[in-house]
Amino acid sequence: MRQHDGQHDAVYSDIHSARSIILAGLFGALTAVGAVVTIPLPWTPVPFSLQVLFVLLSGIVLGGKLGAMSQAIYIILGVIGLPVFSGGHAGPGVLVGPTGGYLLGFVVAPLVVSMVAGRGRREGTWSGLKDFAGTLLGVVVIYIFGASQLALVANLTPSRAISLGVLPFIAGDVVKAFLATWLARHLRRRGLVL
Amino acid sequence: MPMFSSITIGQHIPGDSVIHRLDPRTKILLTLAVVIGIFFVEELWGYVLLFLFVGAAVALSRISPGYIVRGLRPLVIILILTFLLHLFMNPGKELFRLGPLIATYAGVYKGVLMVGRLVLLVVATSLLTLTTSPIQLTDGMEALLRPARRIGVPAHELAMMMTIALRFIPTLLEETEKIMKAQMARGADFESGNIFQRAKSLVPLLVPLFVIAFRRADELAIAMEARCYRGGEGRTRMRQLKATTDDYVASLVTVTFIVVVAVFL
Repeated sequence: MRQHDGQHDAVYSDIHSARSIILAGLFGALTAVGAVVTIPLPWTPVPFSLQVLFVLLSGIVLGGKLGAMSQAIYIILGVIGLPVFSGGHAGPGVLVGPTGGYLLGFVVAPLVVSMVAGRGRREGTWSGLKDFAGTLLGVVVIYIFGASQLALVANLTPSRAISLGVLPFIAGDVVKAFLATWLARHLRRRGLVL
Repeated sequence: MPMFSSITIGQHIPGDSVIHRLDPRTKILLTLAVVIGIFFVEELWGYVLLFLFVGAAVALSRISPGYIVRGLRPLVIILILTFLLHLFMNPGKELFRLGPLIATYAGVYKGVLMVGRLVLLVVATSLLTLTTSPIQLTDGMEALLRPARRIGVPAHELAMMMTIALRFIPTLLEETEKIMKAQMARGADFESGNIFQRAKSLVPLLVPLFVIAFRRADELAIAMEARCYRGGEGRTRMRQLKATTDDYVASLVTVTFIVVVAVFL
């Protein structure tokens, strides 16, 4: 049975409510769509994809727990064979492979984003700063997991793993954190957050 | 123009082989066992035996080996990189020299083993997804996670989210394309400018996308609650998972094989 503890909001933020479950499922699907919608940039072979943006936003919109679950769903979608990982890859091999750490980071990042950025409907500069700090930390979390697994699986030294797996992505990801903050402002103002 | 590659649902190839008919729970657990086994094996002989075992499973599934090999194509670059890294990074007797890089015999051996390990991982795990439909996999995962509910793993919720995500990926792709066209008709420009301008041009795409997602979620929540959806507690199922003799035989053979290979080789 679902638990109602009398508070109006409790029904919506409860992870067992139909609305929360559906939104988390939709966020998993959105991350998958974000990985497919890519904008090619002329100066780098790494295309600008929206995947990380949705990872960061899931923490802001859904909160830590549901956000993490939505990203777990995205990973499972890829693992069971939908071509939703970057570059159209799929399968469990990606998760245990050299780049799988970034995916694990996707699950942990919303927890950190939500912890720092906070939740709910609100406005103002301070709110924006908190969102930006949260999303930047989220990116750092993804790097930590990503570079660690890269170093372990591909047998690289830490410095080499960082130069291959972190440095090329910093510029794009800072832009994504910025974009996530910008969007969070719109979403929080309109009440499109759990 | 941003690229919309068409997402086909899963790579599942329907069939009626022994492997296809196994209970999804059995397949998930045995795949995990094989993956763990692969990480334990260090010697060439172990890899040869694992290759034979996985090969036998592929043969039993009656999926054409060509299809499996094609699945490895996206990995070619990673495989080559892995091989080269190990070729030049291992000290030992010199094979040849490439500037400051020294290829060694030990490097060749280690490189072959590591490439073999990656190929095995990918083939073993893709066999699971090739022979099991997404819905079966979801059911299997929910069933396997059910005991973990006690420590707070929301098994039913995760399975329901999976089903919803699977259902809505095509819808969301369609909506994204529609919003993009609508905004382009209003003069939005997704294709020029520096990285900041491009990122900002995504706001008029993403805000409507979130509005639509929230609207869909509300509609679906009302529809589900009108049909008395109240979570996984006390839910009955139309398709019951059932383990057969095949499942026990497959488990026994696989577990014995993995234990023997992991312990003795």
